[in-house]
Amino acid sequence: MPSGPATIGEFSVLPVSIPPLPSFLQNATHYLYVRRNAPKIPTANDSRSLFLTNIPVDSTEAHLRALVASLVGAGRFESVTFADERRDALAQSTPDAAQPAQAGRALQAHGAKKRKREDEEAGRAQEGAAARLPSTWTRPLRRSGSTAVVLLADDRSAAQVLKAIAKANRTRRYPAWGGDALPDGRVPPLGSVWLRAHNRLSYPDRDALQASIDAFSALFARREQEAAETAKRMRHEPDADGFVTVTRGGRNAPASRNEAEDARRKMLERQDKKKEELTNFYRFQLRERKKEEQVELLKRFDEDRRKLGAMREKRGKFVPEA
Amino acid sequence: MDAAPAKRRKIGHAQDGAERALESAALTGFSRSRAFVLEAEELLDSVRVDYEAAFAGADGLLHRVKGAIEAIKPHESLPVAEAAAKLEKKHKVKVPFPDPPPPENSHYKVAFAKPAQFNVVGSYVSKTMVKTQKDHSVDMVIVMPEEILQEKDYLDLRYFYKRAYYLAVVASALRKELGKEGQLAYEYLNGNPLCPVLTFQPKALQKAADNAGDKEQSGEKATLDYRIRIIPCAPDAFFPKAKLHLGASLVRKGLNADANAASAPTSFYNSALVAEGSFLPYLRLLRQTEKKCRSFKNACMLGRIWLQQRGFGGDISEGGFGHFEWAVLLALLLQGGDNKGHAALSASLSATQLFKAFIQYLSVTDFSEKPCVFGPGTPELDDHIGSGPIIWDSARQLNIAYKMGPWSAVMLCQHAKWTRKVLANPAADQFHPTFILKAGLPSHNFDLVARLNHDASSAAAADNGAADARGRLWQLSSKVYRVLRRAFFDEETGHRARVIHINTPASSPWPLAERPKQHESAALEIGILFDPVNMARTVDRGPTAGPSAEEQDECEQFRKFWGDKSELRRFERDTIRETLIWSSTTAFEVCEEMMHYILGLHLRIGQVDGDISVYGNELPALLSLSPSDTAVFNVAKKAFSTFERDVRNLDDLPLRVRQLAPICAELRHASVKPPVLGPSKVGPRPMECVISFEASGKWPESLIAIQRTKIAFLLMIGSLLEKSKGGEVKTHVGLEDAKLETENLAFLDVVYESGASFRLRIHSDLEETLLERQVKDKTQEQYLRQQATTSLAAFRRLHTNLPLHNQYISTCATRFAALSPTIRLAKHWFNAHKLSYHFTEEFIELAVLRVFLSPYPWDAPSSANTGFMRTLLFLAHWDWRTEPLIVDTGGDMPAADRIAITTRLDAWRKIDPSMHHTVLFVATAQEPSGVAWTTVGGHAKPSKVVAARMTSLAKSASRVVREQGVELDCRRLFVPSLKDYDVVLHLNSKAMKSALKTYATVDPAEPEAASRPKFKNLDERTGQVPLPLVQHPSEMFLDHLSEAYSGPLVFFRGAADENTIGAIWNPQMQRRAFRINLPTSYKPVAGQKRSRDDEDSDDEEAGLVDVNKEAILAEIARIGADLVERIEVKGA
Repeated sequence: MPSGPATIGEFSVLPVSIPPLPSFLQNATHYLYVRRNAPKIPTANDSRSLFLTNIPVDSTEAHLRALVASLVGAGRFESVTFADERRDALAQSTPDAAQPAQAGRALQAHGAKKRKREDEEAGRAQEGAAARLPSTWTRPLRRSGSTAVVLLADDRSAAQVLKAIAKANRTRRYPAWGGDALPDGRVPPLGSVWLRAHNRLSYPDRDALQASIDAFSALFARREQEAAETAKRMRHEPDADGFVTVTRGGRNAPASRNEAEDARRKMLERQDKKKEELTNFYRFQLRERKKEEQVELLKRFDEDRRKLGAMREKRGKFVPEA
Repeated sequence: MDAAPAKRRKIGHAQDGAERALESAALTGFSRSRAFVLEAEELLDSVRVDYEAAFAGADGLLHRVKGAIEAIKPHESLPVAEAAAKLEKKHKVKVPFPDPPPPENSHYKVAFAKPAQFNVVGSYVSKTMVKTQKDHSVDMVIVMPEEILQEKDYLDLRYFYKRAYYLAVVASALRKELGKEGQLAYEYLNGNPLCPVLTFQPKALQKAADNAGDKEQSGEKATLDYRIRIIPCAPDAFFPKAKLHLGASLVRKGLNADANAASAPTSFYNSALVAEGSFLPYLRLLRQTEKKCRSFKNACMLGRIWLQQRGFGGDISEGGFGHFEWAVLLALLLQGGDNKGHAALSASLSATQLFKAFIQYLSVTDFSEKPCVFGPGTPELDDHIGSGPIIWDSARQLNIAYKMGPWSAVMLCQHAKWTRKVLANPAADQFHPTFILKAGLPSHNFDLVARLNHDASSAAAADNGAADARGRLWQLSSKVYRVLRRAFFDEETGHRARVIHINTPASSPWPLAERPKQHESAALEIGILFDPVNMARTVDRGPTAGPSAEEQDECEQFRKFWGDKSELRRFERDTIRETLIWSSTTAFEVCEEMMHYILGLHLRIGQVDGDISVYGNELPALLSLSPSDTAVFNVAKKAFSTFERDVRNLDDLPLRVRQLAPICAELRHASVKPPVLGPSKVGPRPMECVISFEASGKWPESLIAIQRTKIAFLLMIGSLLEKSKGGEVKTHVGLEDAKLETENLAFLDVVYESGASFRLRIHSDLEETLLERQVKDKTQEQYLRQQATTSLAAFRRLHTNLPLHNQYISTCATRFAALSPTIRLAKHWFNAHKLSYHFTEEFIELAVLRVFLSPYPWDAPSSANTGFMRTLLFLAHWDWRTEPLIVDTGGDMPAADRIAITTRLDAWRKIDPSMHHTVLFVATAQEPSGVAWTTVGGHAKPSKVVAARMTSLAKSASRVVREQGVELDCRRLFVPSLKDYDVVLHLNSKAMKSALKTYATVDPAEPEAASRPKFKNLDERTGQVPLPLVQHPSEMFLDHLSEAYSGPLVFFRGAADENTIGAIWNPQMQRRAFRINLPTSYKPVAGQKRSRDDEDSDDEEAGLVDVNKEAILAEIARIGADLVERIEVKGA
């Protein structure tokens, strides 16, 4: 097995030996790069979590748990967050994901979010979960070379893991990936079973789907109503600077954005028509038009010339094929 | 007081002529034709030969030749046999007598005397050669002195015997003089076996030509490998032309006193004899015209290129219409030769104008239909049109077209028509198809090419004696042509073929000491261009069998021609007709059957196997395309209309259905395999369609909510359909593998009992508005706007572009019968070369459609074979870096739109010169943005690398087609090369097949065999229909792989059911410095730290890392598990 450096930059290198498979008989070594987690915005758990980069594409929580267990023994591993999951979570938690756009913006402007209470938020999360559509994959694949954050039991375990990595590098005895260390049946298999499972999961039970949609509509309707109420309230309440926010549903505003656009289009049409009537009306317009056309003609001629030059540069355009 | 005159002046100014001309020019948009003029000038510049350099030493050689010939000692007349024997004995030079040679005991006398005149003629003196022509020869005519000829020599080949002897003497003398400096050989002048000539190729050049075969092609070399041809000829007006008219029979001897044969006119012989004495008159004519018309030379050069690209040449085997004929005909037109006496063309025209006018002239004149006469013609000319095309030059009493066959006249006319069409189309690129493209290949031109084996058929041809000097092969071809013409050009029922062309083998030079090589074993090549409407007709209705004498006569003739095949049949309205019934089904097979039958009947060809071999059907056979496929496609379409009716009939839908449109290839006659409707063991693959409802204000104003509402809608449609159709229909709502909540989330699969299945997606007009708003919203973050742009593009493709695309492809498929099979072949080609994964189907369809809609320099292909070959040619020639692919589906795209499209492409290239986002640019009238079919999910599809691979594959395919001609084994075009891939994944077909079946009630994790009970009736799966496939499993697998490894690997795969996947390591992923977000799996490079003290290595402490290829492949093996059977690594 080739030996590389034990550290690279501030990362410890953790080689993982990959057992051969019948379809690919070579022994391979995968390299994980590990360091203490130090995000830009520190959190409470930073000291007991490790930042991993270049994780294998088929990583699951079970895989990493087994890996940590083989390094420092069982019971140290708490959880793992993968990079793509983090992003997902971020996208889901944007508060107004399921809100009418207009209302969401108004609310944000007014700082209505501040007033939310804790328990209310928990209730919403639950509702959101009910409204979420079922996943269609038994197990996701990671992008090659992506990252994860492993949360360990305590600060000491983190230090121990790093030490164990250093030792593994010294002794050249690398932990293995997957294989027997995985708990039976806990990790859904890949391959054809995985694809079949996906096909089945893609057609969820009709009632479950209906329920999820219903939950979502209820949620959405309530939020819409809330938003409408807030908007109504804001119409009457001047803010700190004494301004009244203009919101939808006022006396003069059109009922919907669609109508507004319609009206705008009509106005533009009217303007166009007016313009049309006045073209070629005066003599100077005619003259200018003619001049423009001549200029255009000249321009096109130049363009042809230029194109010809370009063709000439690329040899062979002007030689008949043999 | 001042105002009035000022005004008047302005008015006067406005009506100025020049200005008006400019204005009209602007309106008609003459930009194209101007571009054509410029391009033609450029072409002339680039092919013009620099005579000083190219023919270095030619003049000196000519002088030496002249000197050598002048130094030959004249001798008195000897009997021809004796003289020939003497020459052979003394000099080892054979006299190239024409066939038949003079009899041994003949008393013709031959003599030698100094030539009366030497002259250099041809394009060397007129300086109209081009660099690319096949061979550059300097023609030197030596006029035989009158004293050695006699007037009656025009009879019985006597002149030609004398000429041959004269040539042999010259040859022997020249060999002495120049034999060491080059090679001397005999050759037929223009393939005319009556007129051998002597060629001399200087040695130095010969060597150079051998060494640098292709260097000379690129025009790099200054000196051309020219040769000198020495052509003996008769003095002008020596033979009485009145006796050499077309109807005269001048070869009387040697025909065994057969009285009938003796009276047959020998028009070719006569014309050849006249031509012998016309070298100098024509030289004078051309010189005069050159003087009179400045652009004449350039027009001739353009003509030469045009003819050459279409395979025409002065040689009999090349059609007998070459540069000389072009020049003379053009000169006659400029001279005012038409029977009213004034010139048809003005001498003040420019070269391109002359060229265009001449093309126009050729396109409306078929020399084989009616004699084309310059000067006072004689009425009897019309009688000789049966023996061949006629262009009669009265002043010189010569039929200029004497070397042409009737077929080549038709072909020339057809090519001129096609070229006229492109020249008349202001929107098309006129220059490239006219001059650059090689348009003469049989596999691009003809739908069917047949080879007649000559050996077996020579006996059949010989019954008429060798009356024609062009040899038996020629006689055979003209017979074949007459028979086929009669068979395929039936006026009454419509022409089955547009062109029948016959290609005779060319003659080659032979050494001085040998006899000319007989090409007896060579085969005739017959090319047929179908009329797509009529060729597939299986019932031919002949004349009505009536009581009148006229009718009876007609029937008799019909029966005589068609033999036993003709039978009487009764048709509607009680007409009884002579009828032919053909048993084949496709156009190609009908044609083949007819050819076999009629040639066998009249010429006794084709009785033996291998007499006729037919080419042109291999491609459709390869895919087993059959005419019944159309029916299968129509069944699918019918199933779709049933589905549409069912959906429209649903009463309880909250919104009215506005449109239900198909968007998949199966429903536009364009899928490689025709759709299979019927029960199948595996999960059905539904055909996709989109549904749109009447506009409604009830859609929620949020993208996420719209998507959920759509699901609710789909659930409702599903249950309503199931309710209304009883047990006939099963519906499943499926979830898309969507990354974002704002994308389309679900679809409805409707599976009919009959086997048809459809996938429905809902269109919501508000969605588009919302997305547009997001794209335009400048306050949004950039990545969100990017996302919205991608979603909007996907939305538009799905709901606007695809339905339209389906519509016009279907329309065109009915308009062009060959379109659907050609598209399927092209897709198969992309599949075979594992390119399909990178191309949208729509792109391939549009590329093929372009070949049909803008087929220049041909007409729209009338068979899948030509269609496919021309598609390859197009793909090979398409310079997608600078040219957009514009498919004018309606045929009425304004020029302004085209310019706008080109400008857009230029803009893209300026923004993105390295082509990361936009590579191919394909615009139609409906989709002028140009990227709908070549950008998917914000990425170029295909990428630049793959597009370049497509071009290079198409180029090599076209090259093979060009080199191998019709005999090409078409399977070769579809053989992929796995060698190019770094990694090849072999999938396990069994595992893949198992992935095709999933059931709602069965847990996919349990192995199939274990869970299956012993008895079929106990198995809960029996009778249960498997779930539809969301996507083909191999596609799903590959999608995941290419998403996970978008950086390091590029995957190549053909059709979805193909079991090998190729992959190439991205060369840009190399050793690099370590950072956190690496694009793929990297391994640290061992030992690099030590090399750091090599001075100026970067201050960065971070070590180098390299792509961990083994680990990546091991990962793929893990992902694939049982799906991947073997991973093959190049060099391992």
